[in-house]
Amino acid sequence: MPSEIRSRNWPWMAIVVSVAVALALAIVSPADTVQGELVRIMYVHVPAAWLAYLAFGVTLVGSVGYLVTRRLSWDRVAASSAEIGVYFTGLAIGLGMIWAKPTWGVWWTWDARLTLTAVMFFVYVGYLALRNTADESRVRAGRSAVLGILGAALIPLVHFSVVWWRTLHQPASLLRPDGPAIQDPLILWALLAGVVAFTVIYVALMAKRIELHRVADRIRDVERSANRPVAGASVTAPELGGGLGDG
Amino acid sequence: MRAYWRFLVPAVITVIVLILLGFNLTSSLVYFNTPTELIAEDPGDSRLRLGGQVVPGTLTTTTEGVTFEVTDGRQAVRVLHTGAPQQLFQEGIGVVVEGTWDGQAFHSDTMLVKHDETYRSEDGSYDPDQPYGDDQDGA
Repeated sequence: MPSEIRSRNWPWMAIVVSVAVALALAIVSPADTVQGELVRIMYVHVPAAWLAYLAFGVTLVGSVGYLVTRRLSWDRVAASSAEIGVYFTGLAIGLGMIWAKPTWGVWWTWDARLTLTAVMFFVYVGYLALRNTADESRVRAGRSAVLGILGAALIPLVHFSVVWWRTLHQPASLLRPDGPAIQDPLILWALLAGVVAFTVIYVALMAKRIELHRVADRIRDVERSANRPVAGASVTAPELGGGLGDG
Repeated sequence: MRAYWRFLVPAVITVIVLILLGFNLTSSLVYFNTPTELIAEDPGDSRLRLGGQVVPGTLTTTTEGVTFEVTDGRQAVRVLHTGAPQQLFQEGIGVVVEGTWDGQAFHSDTMLVKHDETYRSEDGSYDPDQPYGDDQDGA
C-alpha cells in the first residue's frame, strides 16, 4: 500500500521539488544591468515558450504515430499534448506582454515572432475545435492527425523567425548556435531550472490528461454498447405530427 | 481515396498560405530598416521604422523630446524624437523609432526599445541581420 501511494504521488513530489529549486534560483539571481528586475519574467516566459514547442512537437509525434499504427493511444497523446501546448502558448504570450510593456514600451506589436506565435496559438485552438467535429473516434483521430502534422511546421517558423526576419523580439538567448548568451551564471541557472520545472509539470500533466482521455473513451465505449440493444436498427424514432420535422 | 483527399486539401491550402507568407509578406516581416538602408533607399515622405543602437555621447534633450544618433555600425543617422523616451532608453541601447526621413534627419514620434538577447552591456558594431555575430569578431 505505501509503495503504491508513493508511486502515485511521484508527479506531485517532482513538481514541488523542481518548482521550489526554480523559485529559489529566480529569487536569489541578480537583476540584469539594463532590464533590472524585469529579467525575472524571463524565468517563466522562456520555459512557457519552450513547453509550447515541446507540446506541439509531441502532438506531431502522436499524430504520425496514429497514422502509422492506427492505435487510438497515439491520438490521445497528440490530443493531450495539444491541450497543454495551447495553455502554455497563451501563458508565454501573456507573460511576454507583461515584459514587453515596460521594456519595449508597447504590449503588442506585429513583428514576425509575435505574429507567428499568435498564428500558432490559433492553429492549435483550431486543432482542439477540430477534435469536436467528429463523434466517431477514428474519424476524429484521422482528421486531428492531419492538422497535428501540418501545424508542426509552425514550430521552426516561430523559433527561427527572429533569425530569418528582422524583428523587435530579441533572438534566442539559450537555444542558439554558439551557446547561451547569458553571462551571469546565476541568471543562466535560474532560467535552466525554470525550463526543468516546466518540463516536469508538462510530464505530470500529460500523464494525468492521457489517463483522463483513456477513461473518457472507455466510458463512451461502454455507453454505446449499452445503448445498442435499445436504440439499434430495429427501433425507429417516433414520428412527430404537424409537418414541422425536417426528416 | 477519401483518405488522400483529407490530407491533400489541407496540405494544398497550407502550401498556398506559406507561399503567400514567403513572397508577399517578406517586406512587412522586416520590422525596421537600418540607417544604411535608409540613406541608400531614401523613402521620401513615407512613414517607416528605423532601428539601431543609440550612439554614446550624442544624446541630448530638446524642448519637444530627445535627439540622438542611431547606428548600425556602418552609418549613423540623427533622430529628432518628439515625446517622452521609453523607460529603458539610454545611450548604447537598441531602439526602433517610427517616423519620416527628410534627407538629413529622421523625425520620429514613436519609440520602442529593442532589448538584445545577451544580458550584458553591448559594445562594438550592431547588425540586425547577423544576430549571432559574423565571422570577423567585432569587425
